[in-house]
Amino acid sequence: MKQTNTAYRQRYWDLRAAGNFIAGGTGTGLVFVSALAFATGQNVLVPLLLGLALVGLGLSLVWLEIGKPWRAFNVFFHPQTSWMTREGMLATPLFAAGLAAALGFAPGFAIAAVLAAGFLYCQARMLRASRAIPAWSHPRIVPLILLTGLAEGAGAYLVLGEPTRPFIVLALVAASAREIVRELYRRGLSAAAAPEGTLAWFRRPEERALQTLRIAAMVLLALGLVGNTLSATIGGVLAALTGWGFKAILVTRAAYTRGLRIPRTPTRGRDTARAVEPS
Amino acid sequence: MSSAAAGETRSVPTYCYNCVAGPDLMTVEVTDGVATQVRPDHKATDIHPAHGRPCIKAYGLVQKTYNPHRVLTPMKRTNPRKGRDEDPGFVPISWDEALDIVAAKLNDIRARGLLDEQGLPRVAATFGHGGTPAFYMGTLPAFLSSWGPIDYSFGSGQGVKCTHSEHLYGEFWHRAFTVCADTVSTRYIVSFGANVEVTGGVCAVRRHADARLRGIKRVQVEPYLSPTAACSAEWVPIKPKTDAAFMLAMVHVLLHEVARERLDLAFLRDRTASPYLVGPDGWYLRDPDSGKPLLWDTRSHKAVPHDTPDAVPAIEGRFEIATAIAHGPDGEVYQHSNVTARTAFDVMVEAMRPNTPDWAAAICDVPAATIRRVALEYLDNACVGETIEIDGMTLPLRPVAVTLGKTVNNGWGAFECCWSRTVLATLVGALEVPGGTLGTAIRIHKPHDNRLLSVKPGQDGFMASTFNPTDREHWFAKPTGRNAHRTLIPIVGNSPWSQALGPTHLAWLFLRETPPDWPKPTAPEVWFAFRTNPAISFWETAQLSATMATMPFIVCFAYTFDETNHMADILLPDATDLESTQLTRIGGTKMVEQHWHHRGVALRQPAVAPQGEARDFSWISAELARRIGRLDAYTAALNRGTTTFPLQGEHYDFSLRPDQVHDVDTVWDAVCKAATAELTGGKEIKDLAWFKEHGWFVVPFEQLDWYLTPTMQRLGLRYELPYQERLVRTGIELGRRLHEQGIRWWDEQLTEYQGVPHWKDVPGHWVQSVVALGAKPEDFPLWAITTKSMPYTTGNNIGIPLMNEAASNLRGHGAVTINASTATQLGIRDGDWVEVSSPIGTTTGRAAVIQGCRPDTIVIQGQYAHWKTPIAKDFAYPSLNAIAPLSLVSLALTDATGSGADVVRVRVRKVDGPARKRA
Amino acid sequence: MVADLRRCVGCQTCTVACKESNATPPGVQWRRVFDIEAGEYPDVRRVFVPTGCQHCDDPPCLEVCPSTATGKRADGIVTIDYELCIGCAYCIMACPYEARYKVDDERFAFGDDATPNERKRADPRMLGVVTKCTFCVDIVDAGLAQGLVPGRDMAATPACVQSCISGALRFGDLEDPRSGIAQLLAENQWFRMHEAEGTGPGFYYLWDKAPPL
Repeated sequence: MKQTNTAYRQRYWDLRAAGNFIAGGTGTGLVFVSALAFATGQNVLVPLLLGLALVGLGLSLVWLEIGKPWRAFNVFFHPQTSWMTREGMLATPLFAAGLAAALGFAPGFAIAAVLAAGFLYCQARMLRASRAIPAWSHPRIVPLILLTGLAEGAGAYLVLGEPTRPFIVLALVAASAREIVRELYRRGLSAAAAPEGTLAWFRRPEERALQTLRIAAMVLLALGLVGNTLSATIGGVLAALTGWGFKAILVTRAAYTRGLRIPRTPTRGRDTARAVEPS
Repeated sequence: MSSAAAGETRSVPTYCYNCVAGPDLMTVEVTDGVATQVRPDHKATDIHPAHGRPCIKAYGLVQKTYNPHRVLTPMKRTNPRKGRDEDPGFVPISWDEALDIVAAKLNDIRARGLLDEQGLPRVAATFGHGGTPAFYMGTLPAFLSSWGPIDYSFGSGQGVKCTHSEHLYGEFWHRAFTVCADTVSTRYIVSFGANVEVTGGVCAVRRHADARLRGIKRVQVEPYLSPTAACSAEWVPIKPKTDAAFMLAMVHVLLHEVARERLDLAFLRDRTASPYLVGPDGWYLRDPDSGKPLLWDTRSHKAVPHDTPDAVPAIEGRFEIATAIAHGPDGEVYQHSNVTARTAFDVMVEAMRPNTPDWAAAICDVPAATIRRVALEYLDNACVGETIEIDGMTLPLRPVAVTLGKTVNNGWGAFECCWSRTVLATLVGALEVPGGTLGTAIRIHKPHDNRLLSVKPGQDGFMASTFNPTDREHWFAKPTGRNAHRTLIPIVGNSPWSQALGPTHLAWLFLRETPPDWPKPTAPEVWFAFRTNPAISFWETAQLSATMATMPFIVCFAYTFDETNHMADILLPDATDLESTQLTRIGGTKMVEQHWHHRGVALRQPAVAPQGEARDFSWISAELARRIGRLDAYTAALNRGTTTFPLQGEHYDFSLRPDQVHDVDTVWDAVCKAATAELTGGKEIKDLAWFKEHGWFVVPFEQLDWYLTPTMQRLGLRYELPYQERLVRTGIELGRRLHEQGIRWWDEQLTEYQGVPHWKDVPGHWVQSVVALGAKPEDFPLWAITTKSMPYTTGNNIGIPLMNEAASNLRGHGAVTINASTATQLGIRDGDWVEVSSPIGTTTGRAAVIQGCRPDTIVIQGQYAHWKTPIAKDFAYPSLNAIAPLSLVSLALTDATGSGADVVRVRVRKVDGPARKRA
Repeated sequence: MVADLRRCVGCQTCTVACKESNATPPGVQWRRVFDIEAGEYPDVRRVFVPTGCQHCDDPPCLEVCPSTATGKRADGIVTIDYELCIGCAYCIMACPYEARYKVDDERFAFGDDATPNERKRADPRMLGVVTKCTFCVDIVDAGLAQGLVPGRDMAATPACVQSCISGALRFGDLEDPRSGIAQLLAENQWFRMHEAEGTGPGFYYLWDKAPPL
C-alpha cells in the first residue's frame, strides 16, 4: 500500500539564500569566462569586476538571512566537511585574485578562474549535501549548478564583454549542455521518486515558460553565430536570466522535504503488518 | 531547558480532571511562584494504571492559568439588551457588589417561593461535560444542596452528545452507566465507534496498548478511521446509524448458525431471564399465588416460580401451562389457563430469525461475510467453559467484549445497539465477568461510588431499578423541570444526575417552541453556569444563543469571555485548576475505563496563587450561603458529605460547626481527614498539610470488585435480559398517560418500548428530517458525523493555544474530513475551503481529504465556530453543531430515552475561503 | 530511543510535554507525532509516527554545519552549541528527518506578550539559532550525576518518554544488553527512518514481534 505524502516545502531559505546561488553562479561564471576572454586578449575589466561584485552580493544576501549575522565569522570553523565553510573560505582569495587581475596582475585571472570554479563547485556541493531536500541532494545537481553557472556567466559576458564568435559558441554550448543536464536531472528526480511537490514544478507554467525562454535563448545564440550580434546579446541575457529563474524556483519553490517514510505498518494486536510503498 | 530557569523550583502534586476519563495525577513545576510545566506524578507509577502519566490536556493547564484573556475580576452587565450582536458592556465590580447582587436576586426568590407558578424551580444551573465541573467547583454542591430545588435540565450537550442510552439501559441492565471491555483480560473486542484511544483516558490507552502487544484483536466498526480504528486489528467502515443491524445480525448468527451448546447455557439459565415463560400476549406468565414469573423446571416437568430452589429451568421450548396470571399495565391482571408458553429465550430466537447477515449487509453496506466472520470470531474467542482465579475466587473467563461509542449508543437505534451488545455478552456468559463486557460507574442508583453495593433485590428476581412512575396516580403530568424528564423518560429515574442527563435539548427547545398541548415553560429567573458553553456545544447554536438571551438573570463563573457568558448579567472569576483546592476520589472503577487495584483520594491544590481577583469556589460558595442566610444548611450539607465523604462517620468526627463561615483550608482539612479515616476504618488520618505534600492517598481495591456477576450470583439475581417485559409495560403506561393528556407527539418514542428489539429504518429518521425541514433528501446526499481528538476531548480548553498546536498534527483537526474519491467527484482538493450545508444552515472549513472515511460520509471534528471566546474565535473551523437542527424536527430525532445523535444529512461544495471573500 | 508503533495512539502528549519541558516557542516541536495514512479506501492503515532528532551515528547536520555548533557527544547525543551557531539553517536543509527549527523573533502563545511562565523560561540564546531535540540532555545529565539510569529512572529520562501514556516511547543505552531498549530491539522487528541514507539514526521503530526462530 502507498503512504500519504508528508513532504512540505522548506520554509527557512528564501530569496536571500536563492540570491547567493543566483548571484554566486552568474558571478563566478562571469569571472571564469572573463579569465578565458582575457586569455584571448579581450578587455574584461567590467565583466570581471561585475562578476566579483555579484559573488559579493550573493554572500551579502546570505549574511542578511542568517540568524546571528554578527557571528558570521563562525562560518569558517568547519572546513573539514562543510561545503558552506569551504565556499566561504574560497571567497576571500577569489576577491583578492580577481582584484589583483583587475589591477593588472595577469596570473590573477587564472587563479581567479580556478577559485571561481571552486566557489561554484562548493555551491553545488552545498546543495548536494542538503539531504532534507531531494531536489537538491540528487547527484545530478552538481553538473547542473556548474553548467548553469557557466551558461549564465557566458550569457552575461555577451552583454558585458565582447560578444565574439567563440564566446557565443561557448554560451550556446553551455546553455545547450545545461538544458541536457537539466533534463537528465529531471529524469533522475523522477526515477528517484522525488516528492510530488518537486516533480510538479517541472510541469508548472512558470517552469514551462522558463524552458521556452531557455530554448529561445539557444535559438538566439545560434542566430548570433550567423552574424546577428544583437540576437546573441539578447540570447545571452536570456540564458543568464533563465538560470536565475530556475534557481529561484529550485531554492524557494520546488524545495520539498523528503517527508516521513515508513516501510511497514505496525501490527495492532492480531493483524498483519503491511509493506508500505512511498507515495 | 528545564534547568535553565533560575530560582527556587518545587514540584506540586495535584490532579487534572478536565474530562470524565480523569482524574489524572500529575505534578506542577513551580519556579519562584510561577507554574512552568506539568509533569507526570512518577510516585504514582505503581498504583496508577497509566503509571502516573496525565493526558495531553493536563499540559495545557499552565497556559490556562496565565491566559491573558482571563476574566480576573467580577463583572456586571451594563447593557440590559442581550444577544449575539449586543455588547454586554461588562464593567469590573468588587466581589462584595457581585455577590450582593446575586444574593439579592436569590433572597427575592426565596421570599416568593422556590418554585414558580408552573411548579418549576426559579433557579436553574448548568454544569458542563460528564460531571467533571463538580471536581472543580469546590463546595458549590453544598451551596446548591442548601438552596433547594434547582432545575438542571438546561444541558450543554448532555443527552445528545453523551453515551446517553448506554447510561440508561446500561445502568438498568448491569449497573453500567458507562461500559468498557475488561481490557486486561480480554482477547477480542468488537467496538462500534467507541473511540477509546481518544476519549478513554490514559488508563484505557495504556491498557489497550498492553493488550495489543498481548495479541488482542479489536475490530473497529465505524464510518471513519479514527485513531481507535487505526490502532485496531481491523476497520469495518459501516454506514452511519446502521450499527444496530450489524449487531442484531451477530445475535442472529449466534442463535441460528451455531450449535446451541457453544453458548454459555448455564449463564443464560441462571443469570438471565431466558427461562422465564412468556404468554401469548407477551407478558410473563406468573404464579397465580405469588405473582412471580414462572419458568419450566426440567426436573419436575412443571412450571414453577423463578426462585424455586433446585429447579433446573429450561432455556428453550414451548410448554403448556394450566393456570397462570400475567401483570399488564396499570395493575391489570390477566388470568390464563391452558396456554402455550414460550421461554423468553425462544421469543428472542424467533425475533432474531430474520436478522441474517445478508439482511444486515444491505443495510450496513458491510459484506455479509464480514458480519458473519466477526460474530463467529466473537464466539470462538469467548472460551465458553474456561475459568480464571481472581483474588482467590474462581470466575468464568470470557475474553470477548462489545463496546459502543457516541452516535451508536445515543439517538434512534441506540436501544437496539445497547440491547444487542448486552445480549451478545449474555449469550456467551461474558457479562460482568473477567475478560468480558463491564460496567464502570453508576449515576442513577446509589451509592454512586460503589456499583456492587447498589445492587438490591427487586421485583421478578431482577435487581431493583428506580424508574420514574408511570401509573396514573404517581405519574408527573406536570414537569418538575423544564425538560420534563420525570414526565417523559421513566428509565432516567430521579437521582441528582437524572435531570441533567436529559433530554436536556428539550429544555432549550421548549423555551423557544413547544409541541401541541404542551405549555411553554417559564424561563428560570436565575441561571448559574460553570464550565459549560451550550451556545457552542449544543445544536442549532445560533437559535440556542437567541433563546439563552431571553433568560432574565444569568450568573456565569467565567474563565474568559465566551459565547454563553456573553448573555450573562454577572461574571464571577473562579480560581482555576492550578489555583484552587479540592479533594476527589481516585481509583476503583470510575467512569469510562479506569479499573485500578487501588482506590482513594487525591488533592487538587493551589500550585500558584490565583491570578487577579479569581477566588476559590469554596470561598464563593460559603459567601453566597452566608449572604442568603443558608449557612446552616450549607454546612450541614458539607457535614453530610456533599463534597466526597461525610465529615462524621463510625470512627471519626470532623464535622464543622454549622453557625460559622469556615475558610477554604479548614473545610478541606476536615474532608481530607474524614476521607482517610473512612478509607482506613479510622486507622489512618491524613490532614490537608499531608495531602499538600503527598498529593494522594490510596488503599487496595480488589480486582474482584471490577465484576458485578459475583454479586448477582451471591444475591441470586438475574440480569433483566433478553426479554423486556418491564419496559413494554412502562411504555404502555406512559402512552396511556400522555394520551390522557392529549399528547401525541411522543408516540414514535413509545414504539421503542419493545420486548425484543425489531429493526426499524434507523438512518431513515435523518433522511425524513430533511423532508420535515422542507427540503429534498436528494439535495443532501452525504452523512455528516463528528469525532474528537484527545487534546480537546471534553476539555473545556478551547482557548489554550498549546492544544490547538498539538491537535494540528492530527489529520482532520479543524477541518471537514472527506473521502478522497468523493472529494475528486466534487472537485475538492486537500486544503480547499468547503461549505457544508444542511437544510438549516451552513458551516465552512478547509477540506482534509483522506482515504480513511466512507465515501458517503464526512466528519467534522470537535465543536468550534466560536465567535467570542478569545483565541478560538480566530480559528475559522467548521462545526456540526451549527447545522444540526434543534427544533420540533429534532423532537422526531429524539429517541425514547430522550437522546439524539450527532448525525446530519448534508451537501458539500467547494467555496472561496474567508480571506478571498474579504478581498 | 524506541518508538513502538503498535502502541502509539497519536495523542501528542509527548509533543506538548516536550514543549513545556524545553520551553519551545509556538510552532517549534522538537518531538512530534505524525499522522500518516497508507492504502486506499477501504484498505487503509493509519499510523502514528513519533519523530524528532534521530541523534544519528553519522549526522548529516553535523557534516554541513559551518560553525561546528552541531556536535556529537560520546554517548551519541547530537548537540547544538547556541553560542556558536550562526543560524544559517543549512543543517535544517541537511536533516532528512525534519527535526530542526529556527526562530528569529520572540513568539508567544497568546500573541505579542509573554505570559509569566514564558517570561520565566525565556532563553534569548535560542533566538536566531537552530534548535532541536536534545534528548533532554540536561535531565539525562542531572540524573546520571545522581547515579540514576536513563530510561529506567524517570528522573533521568527525556520528558517525552516520561510523559508517554501508551508506553510507546522508551529510552536507554543501546550498548547495554541489559537495558530495556536492547531487549526490546532483540525481541521485536524494527526499522529506522530513511535507513538507505546511511545516517544511522538512533530512533528505532518497533512494528512487530520478532519472528519465531
